[in-house]
Parts: sequence; structure tokens; C-alpha cells
Amino acid sequence: MGKIVLVWALLLGVFAYSDGLESRCLACHKAQQIPNDLIYRRYLLKYSSAKNIENAIYRYLKNPQKEHSIMPPQFFLKFPMKEKRSMDERTLRQSIEQFIQKFDIKKKLVLEKRSH
Amino acid sequence: MLRSEKRSLVRFLVIYLLSTLLLFSLASWIFYTSSKQHLLSQQKQMLKYTSKKLENRLRKLHKSHEDTLLYPNYKQIQTAIYDIDKHYIFGTYPKAHTFDATQKGILYEKRKVEPYYLGAAYILVAKPINEAPIVNLKKNILFFMLIAGLVFSVLGYYLGRLFVAPMRESLNRMNQFIQDTTHELNTPISTILTNIEMIEALNTEHQNAKELKRIEIASKTLSRIYDDLSYLNLNHHYHRKIETIDFSALTEERIAYFSSMAKAKDIKIVRHIVEGVQVEMDKNDALRLIDNLCSNAIKYNKHHGTLEVILNHETLVISDTGIGIKKEDLKHILQRFNRANKSEGGFGIGLHIVSAVCENYGFELEMYSEINEGTEVRVRWEK
Repeated sequence: MGKIVLVWALLLGVFAYSDGLESRCLACHKAQQIPNDLIYRRYLLKYSSAKNIENAIYRYLKNPQKEHSIMPPQFFLKFPMKEKRSMDERTLRQSIEQFIQKFDIKKKLVLEKRSH
Repeated sequence: MLRSEKRSLVRFLVIYLLSTLLLFSLASWIFYTSSKQHLLSQQKQMLKYTSKKLENRLRKLHKSHEDTLLYPNYKQIQTAIYDIDKHYIFGTYPKAHTFDATQKGILYEKRKVEPYYLGAAYILVAKPINEAPIVNLKKNILFFMLIAGLVFSVLGYYLGRLFVAPMRESLNRMNQFIQDTTHELNTPISTILTNIEMIEALNTEHQNAKELKRIEIASKTLSRIYDDLSYLNLNHHYHRKIETIDFSALTEERIAYFSSMAKAKDIKIVRHIVEGVQVEMDKNDALRLIDNLCSNAIKYNKHHGTLEVILNHETLVISDTGIGIKKEDLKHILQRFNRANKSEGGFGIGLHIVSAVCENYGFELEMYSEINEGTEVRVRWEK
């Protein structure tokens, strides 16, 4: 019985964890049709490692301006500039980590069948 | 071919071949190293090409919005991509491979790339070294070394023969001279000796004449030199007749023969000759052995000295109280044309003949000498 409770608690925790990103960030992104995958790839192209990407996103979110954004100026003609949000430090860091994990490229990479 | 000629030829060949081998080894090593580098750089070129191909592929994948991104898998080549902190992103390795790790026998191409398609800041491409052309190269060099060794050995042999030719020529000339001289000396010596014997036999009043004795001694010396030189010249062509020789009787006979020479220097002859000592050998060889030892013992003895001859079933010992031989000269005294003391006449062939006779019959020859004390030569019949 104790084990069942523990498993349920863990599942709920995981759901709440990913749900946090969804509710805090992605719901709005979805509504505004912001291409998350494209944004992530741009970060990847410039910063390479997860740690560097995390720091770059953090810097932008702390001070959301065109100059700090990874996206080109034209992007903001179509999409509105993000408003600064009052999110506590821990939640902000956690949300960025979740964002990186969600769009992590490694998950998509598959070894091709040997043909060359 | 004479022993000294052989020795010179062998020494020349050893030095020549060793220096040639050293030179060829050095050249082959330099050639091998540069050729191996060339072969490896050829193989590395392929890795560089693969690395470029992988970079292009990463660029395409980066722009792709497919749900799965197919990472290329090249035949016999392992690849991996790393982020800016050199953390493994993806690759064909079964497990995450450390960027800086290297393995023996594997050729690596590591490259930094920018921009970071799929986050890849570093590309690693590796493949096992193809050893076949390197092994082939080694085989070819070894084959070349063998052929060169063979050619240079033959060349060295002919060169060596060419270099020792003047030495051989002068030795041949000397031998020819000795041969001619001995041939020319034979008749007059025989005539002198026969006539002295006739004078002694027929005219008894002349028997003690000093002059006649001197002529006799000189003639005997000449006769002995003639015998020695003939022996040396004919040594290889002479057919030996091995028989049982009464060595005691022969020794007595030869002592009597040399008595006039010993008397001329007031040398006392002491003999301890056991009767009936028999030795299986050629008589001429036995004569040359006794004559040369007795002759040397008289020639290099002091006036009023002693010549001691001991003969028994084990040894023949002939010792004198003469000038002696230096220790450093004792090592070379048995060589042909070698003389420790040049104050007396001779060709330096006496002890060489003694040594040759002992070697032929397996006798053990020992020499002991002290300067100004004398020399003792010991011939042991069985080693």
C-alpha cells in the first residue's frame, strides 16, 4: 500500500514538474504561436552547451530586450516583446532547465543504418 | 690462401659490411619513417573528408524539423560530436566517448567547428589504422636490405681480394725467391760438405785444423737453412711417410751432428736421454723438430753456456742458458718470419716449423723463457 502511494506521489510530482513549464511558459508561447523549437535551435547554434544556453536564457528573461534576445529584430515585428515577469529565482532556473530538457536535440537523434 | 691473407680479408669484410649495414639501416629507417608518415597522412586525409561530410550533415540536420534526426553512420569509421565543454552529444560509439581519449592503433581527426550545428563544437572522426600498406612497406625494405646485403657482400669479397692482392703477390714473390735460392744452394752445399768429409777421412793431419772446422760448421748451418726452406716450400705438397722412429737414437745422432757447432762456442751439452723412445711420425718432420730446437739453443746460447736435452716417453725438453726471449715476443715467436732477436742470422722460420710439426702431430708445445737466463722448449707427445 505504501509503495502504491509512493509511485502515485512520484507520478504526480513529474506531472506537476512538466506541467509547471507548460503553465508558466509554453501556454502563452502556444497562444502566440512562438516557435519554441526554432528558438531552442538558435540558442544551440550560438551557445552549444546546456549550461551556456541556460545562462543566456536566464540573462534574457531577467532583462527581456531585443539586444539580449537570440532572435533577429524581424522576429519582434511578428511577435511581441516579452514582458518582464516576477518569478522567483529558483522557479525561473527550474523552468529554463525544463525548457532545455523538453527541446533537447539528443532525444531526436537516431543512428542511421549503415549505408555509406 | 695464407692465414694472414685470410685474416686481413675477414677483417676488411667485417668492417666494410658493418659500416654498409649501418649506413643502409639508417637510410632505410629514414625512408621507412617518412613513408609511414605519408601513408598515415593519406589515411588521415580520408578522415578529414569524412569530418567535412559530417559537418555538412549536421548543418542539414540542424535545419530539419523532423521528429527524428538521422545521424550518419559511416562504414569502418567512428564519429562523435561534442559541445563547447567537450561533453559527448552523440556518436556512433556504443558508449559516450571522451574527446581527449586516444587509443593505440587508431587514427584520429579532431576538429573544432563553428557555428555549433546541433550544439556540436567539436567533431571527432576515428578509424583503425590500416596496417596492410605499412606491413608491405616493411617487407619491401627488408627485401631491399637483403638484396643490398647480398650484393655488397659479393662486392666486398671482390674488393677485399683486390686489396690483399699486393700482399699475396709479395708473399708469392718471396716464396718464389726462397724456392729459387734453395734450388741454387743445394748443389754447392752438398759439394762442400762431401769434400770436407773426404778431407777429414783421407787426410788425418787436417782433422783438427780450425779453419776446416769452421768451414764444416758454416756448411752445416747452410745445409740446415736449406732443409728448413725446402720444408716450408714443400710443406703442402710433400708426401709424409709415417713410421715408428727411434727418437732416442735420432736425438743422439742430431746432437752429434751439432757438436762441432756447440764446441765452437764452448757450449756444454748435457743429455738425459731415455733409450727406446719411439714416436710415430715422418722422419723429415722429426729431423726438422730436433734440428731447429738444437740449432736455436746453440745459436742464442752464451759462450761457455749449457745445452740440456731431456728425452723420455712423455716429453722432449731442450733448454739453453742463452739470451732468452721477452714475454711480449713469446706470443708471436711461433709466427713465420718472426725473430725475437735480430743480432743473430736467420729467417725466423725455425720455431714456425717446430710449431707446424707439433700442430700436425697433435704434440703440445710449451715455451718458457727469462731474459739473460735462458729458454726452455717442451714438446709433449700427447696432449
